Amino acid sequence: MLKKYITVFLLFFYISSYSQSKIYTSLTIPDNLTEHANAVVRDNTIDIVLESANEMHVKERRVITVLNKQGNRTTHAYVHYDNNEKIKELQVIVYNALGQQIKKIKKNEFKDVSAVDGGTLYSDSRVKYLEYTPISYPYTMEFICETVTSNTAFIKPFNPIDSYFLSVEDSSYSIEFPEGITIRTKEKNFNEFDLEKQELANKFSFKVSNIEAFKPEQYSPFYTLIAPRVLVASNKFSLEGVNTQVENWNDFGKWMYHDLIKETHDLPLETKTEIQNLVKGDTSQIEKAKKVYQYVQDKVRYISVQVGIGGWKPFNVSKVDEVSYGDCKALTNYTMALLNEVGVESHYTVVYARKSQRSIEKDFASMQGNHVILNIPRQNEEDIWLECTSQKLPFGFIGDFTDDRDALVITPEGGKIVHTKKYEEEESLQSIKGKCSVSNEGAIEAKVISVSKGIQYDDKYYLATETERDLDVHYKKRWKYINGLTIQEMSLNNDRDSIEFIEDISFNASNYSKVIGNRMLLQVNALNRNTHIPDRYRNRKLPLQIKRGFKDIDEVEIRLPSDYKIESQPENVSIENKFGSYKMTLEVTDENTIIYHREFTVKDGDFPKEDYAAFRGFYKEVSKLDNAKIALIKK
Amino acid sequence: MKILITVLCLCFTITTFSQNYKFGKVSEEELEEKICSIDSSANAAYLYKYRKSFFEYNKENGFELKTEIHERIKIYNQEGFDFATKQIRLYKSGGAEERISGLKAYTYKLENNKVVGEKLDKSGIFKTEASKYSNQVKFTMPNIQPGCVLEYKYEITSPFASKVDEFVFQHSIPIKKVEASFEVPEYYNFKVNTKGFLSVKPVIESGRGSITFTNTARSSNSYYQLEQKSFSTSKVDYSKQINKYSLDNIPALKKEPYVNSINNYRSSVKYELSYTKFPRSATEYYSTTWEDVVKRIYKSSSFGEELEKTGYFEKDIDALIGAVSNPAERANLIFNFVKSQVKWNGYYGIYADDVKKAYKNHVGGSGDINLMLTAMLRYAGLNANPVLVSTRSHGIPLFPTREGFNYVVTWLRLPDDSVMLLDATDTYSVPNVLPFRALNWQGRIVAKNSGSGLIDLYPTTKSKNAMTMMVKIDEEGTLEGSYRSVKTNHKALSFRNKYNGADKDAYLEKLENKYGGIEVSDYQVKNDKDLSKPIVESYKFIKESQADIIGDKMYFSPLFYLKTNENPFKLEKREFPVDFGYPSTTSYKLIINIPEGYKIESLPEATAIGLPENMGTFQYKVIGNAKTIQVLVTSKLNQSIISSIYYEALKEYFNKLLQKETEQVVLTKA
Repeated sequence: MLKKYITVFLLFFYISSYSQSKIYTSLTIPDNLTEHANAVVRDNTIDIVLESANEMHVKERRVITVLNKQGNRTTHAYVHYDNNEKIKELQVIVYNALGQQIKKIKKNEFKDVSAVDGGTLYSDSRVKYLEYTPISYPYTMEFICETVTSNTAFIKPFNPIDSYFLSVEDSSYSIEFPEGITIRTKEKNFNEFDLEKQELANKFSFKVSNIEAFKPEQYSPFYTLIAPRVLVASNKFSLEGVNTQVENWNDFGKWMYHDLIKETHDLPLETKTEIQNLVKGDTSQIEKAKKVYQYVQDKVRYISVQVGIGGWKPFNVSKVDEVSYGDCKALTNYTMALLNEVGVESHYTVVYARKSQRSIEKDFASMQGNHVILNIPRQNEEDIWLECTSQKLPFGFIGDFTDDRDALVITPEGGKIVHTKKYEEEESLQSIKGKCSVSNEGAIEAKVISVSKGIQYDDKYYLATETERDLDVHYKKRWKYINGLTIQEMSLNNDRDSIEFIEDISFNASNYSKVIGNRMLLQVNALNRNTHIPDRYRNRKLPLQIKRGFKDIDEVEIRLPSDYKIESQPENVSIENKFGSYKMTLEVTDENTIIYHREFTVKDGDFPKEDYAAFRGFYKEVSKLDNAKIALIKK
Repeated sequence: MKILITVLCLCFTITTFSQNYKFGKVSEEELEEKICSIDSSANAAYLYKYRKSFFEYNKENGFELKTEIHERIKIYNQEGFDFATKQIRLYKSGGAEERISGLKAYTYKLENNKVVGEKLDKSGIFKTEASKYSNQVKFTMPNIQPGCVLEYKYEITSPFASKVDEFVFQHSIPIKKVEASFEVPEYYNFKVNTKGFLSVKPVIESGRGSITFTNTARSSNSYYQLEQKSFSTSKVDYSKQINKYSLDNIPALKKEPYVNSINNYRSSVKYELSYTKFPRSATEYYSTTWEDVVKRIYKSSSFGEELEKTGYFEKDIDALIGAVSNPAERANLIFNFVKSQVKWNGYYGIYADDVKKAYKNHVGGSGDINLMLTAMLRYAGLNANPVLVSTRSHGIPLFPTREGFNYVVTWLRLPDDSVMLLDATDTYSVPNVLPFRALNWQGRIVAKNSGSGLIDLYPTTKSKNAMTMMVKIDEEGTLEGSYRSVKTNHKALSFRNKYNGADKDAYLEKLENKYGGIEVSDYQVKNDKDLSKPIVESYKFIKESQADIIGDKMYFSPLFYLKTNENPFKLEKREFPVDFGYPSTTSYKLIINIPEGYKIESLPEATAIGLPENMGTFQYKVIGNAKTIQVLVTSKLNQSIISSIYYEALKEYFNKLLQKETEQVVLTKA
């Protein structure tokens, strides 16, 4: 009898221990999760306990199986800490493919360094990270970490997929909170994924299982914009000792303005006088704003220093005035104070910067964004946006760093969401006027004048300050399809008033066209050939997104070699589809002169993944047409 | 007239000489300069760069190394603003650390034609612990504007007397004046190593220094008397050698592609301790000759001792090779054993941390792994020695120094006198195919009796990539066929490192997109794991638009998408050698079936071009008959490194190669 009991007991024990340890062996991963995956999150558990608005405990256990070398970086075996955030527990256990423990790494074996990235002069944040060399693949790493912080403004979101090539077996998240605190959540991108959730009076829990890896694909939205996640925020929170209560963006904006910004506006009298004198006689708000922006660009430079509340609150205006440097918050705030002094209304604006056009969540107020710009509101006209960390951008030009996305504009009355400037394809125009002449030996001499605007301006204006040596290489790369190219003259003009970048370039190349017998094959498009074809995917997974449109217009006069005449020439083309258009005409003006017209437009937009092949086809067609040749024959 | 010129010259000299380099004496001229007088493309320049390093005796710590720095920098434009931020690294080790003191810094500008200086506030200076081994002091100057001049000075006191930082005389911006000195007491003897293109020679003077000792003597006259202390001082005079450097107008050092390490060409002077001889103690040698360097490295416990240990692996090696007597086979077994047992943690170094531990944990640095490998080979009765290497990013060890090396590999001579180099840090490395990082000039073999010799690290065998294609082109210009390539040595090594362990689908997509979207099927790789054989890659493919069809003619380059597209050498001028790392052969052999109803009208002519001194050759031949065209192209680079004097020739060679490869076949409708 007793024996029976024992057997049963053992059996139970065995089963339960098996189900626990199965996540440590690499052998039990479902096949669909290893496809396109460098690593698999076996089980990730985040448990957050908000004791009060001033105390938050975060416990994380993350078991991840790394399948190959590229997967190493997804283990995220590091933790940040600072004066307000303490590490209570930290350890890593490594298992081999069979799930046997092979190594245990304790807190004091982690590397401990200052968490300063390249662009920052100083930050009081530090990081403990693990340097681990895998002995073989796959292996499984269990990362256990517990921290406690008095900053509750940021609550870690439930973000089960935080990388490409990473799949998830199980991932769960819970947050406990006391009476008197309300937790708001927002679920994003769960259409294709099942989210198990439980919302109790004092605890919310979420769980997802079986999410396949994302693979990066060209012309697709950045994964942070499509990966499933739950955003979490507390209505009461504390930030470096500053307490507040926030329900919506309006409250949030009020708090930021009154607690973080207003009191920093201590512009010294001397500077006030100077700036008043600067705009004396100007009545137009825009003219005043332009002068102030130029004043700031001439005076300050971007240097990032993040200490304590300074991570969120701008330096005092007087400090920027004194040292002439600051980070995005400081410089934006400084510009704002100066504009305010001359009677131009402007607002501190929080955004997500980078090309990926991530928006601030319209309907979910929480600490968001990674950058600050300035908004000048206007009646019945587009608002003006100023990038205050750049000493080079023209007035009112923000480029692809912060264009076309929702931003949080902070006014004394509260915060509101406003969409930043979008550059339409017609605005992002490059127009080329060129003259090429081809000799009887096939050599080419070309003179190009190219004017770029909008995002195409943004792509090029930096050239204005490059050295001659670097420019020489740059233009050889731009026309890389012409072998043996020699740049003869370059003259660049960055017109900041009209926001145009003008390039005036002359070059020659001795073997442009090859003489074959009594024929010569002349490639008509010498100056602006599209060599880009979007990647082909056997199985496109992600939707097609064209983030920004553009337009190219080329008009090139080509002098043909005197000994030759046209034998055959490509036909004129006009293509139009939902992605854009392409037009090409050849006009023979006299026996030895032709005019080549080309217009290529790509529009921005979102399309289903099924459209990708057609979009790629469009580019392929354009490349082919750009390779069109005229056959010349000896007279 | 002549007089006038003389007078002018005199004035000129006077103004030049009147530059005042005392701290704080920034002149109006310096502030007014708009464009750097010695380099119009400079965004910033050192107007003055001063360093003095010397030894000072102190009662607690003995001799300490002190370094005074004073730098004056001109900022010409916004691109030069980065030079307004300074980072100072302070080493620490075993409880001792370098200390900084006396930091003073000012930004100067002209206000109403007057030089005005603004002091760097303490709040703008940040000290952080960068890692276990170093602290960092960072500061950025206030009120930086185009045209301003900034100046700072500080002193570093170092307890690491034998570690003298390199005197660097060339930077990414030009320097107008350098003054530097290094003062060495007679007790120390340093060896000086100079590198770079500038001629840098010190003026050597001698001076005197002294040490004051305070001796405390305890005495008691009788049993009853209290102990008394008495102090006496004694002074010891010593002589010192002063090495002084003074250089003017040093051009900026600019990056170029295909350079192993730009630091190889940077003008600098490095002092390395060769011996110390203190009064009443024996001479202690550090390094002077290669033999000394090797001896000292060998003597250090983390090298020689680690190399001698065998106990930890004996059993395993006995089991591994017990049944094998052929030396080559033994070597092979051991090499593969180390590669599979111990993984490289990414750390360079000539010393082992702990071979036993590395063996047990299956992880180690280059020192652990290759010293272990050497020890195992020796244990198996083979003639193996460690080879000290300076990796590509580390520069070239031109002079006998211990710090000149940062990596170690293994040398092996078999009874048949064949010699090979082995590196077990890379799973896919095979004998004589070292990882790319180790291909840097010469290595130094450390023999058992601690004698040494040199060995070339650049391989002599060419790495091959031989491609063959059997294709058919149709009337539309669509190309269809099969591709096969055979890769050896470094070409195979780099392929294996990229291919093995990568997601196969993603790899294939990358391959397809690399060639503008060919469509690949039946993709196969042979010998990806069998390192004894070359990599054989094969696939079938379709690619559209590979010919221009104009009228009744078809035109195409007979190498199709395989042809070279760009000249890698775009710079008009080049200062430094071009370093490819290894010699190579790339060859193409194509058989092209032409469409039905077409005949060949013309084919590109055969050609052969070469680099001077047989450094490289390119051969190109296209022949055809009624139905097919055969293409044979071979391009050889016979040397790993090509001197910059041949840069023009090299660029022109690639130009011609590209030109030839774009030449077209013409077909006509029959």
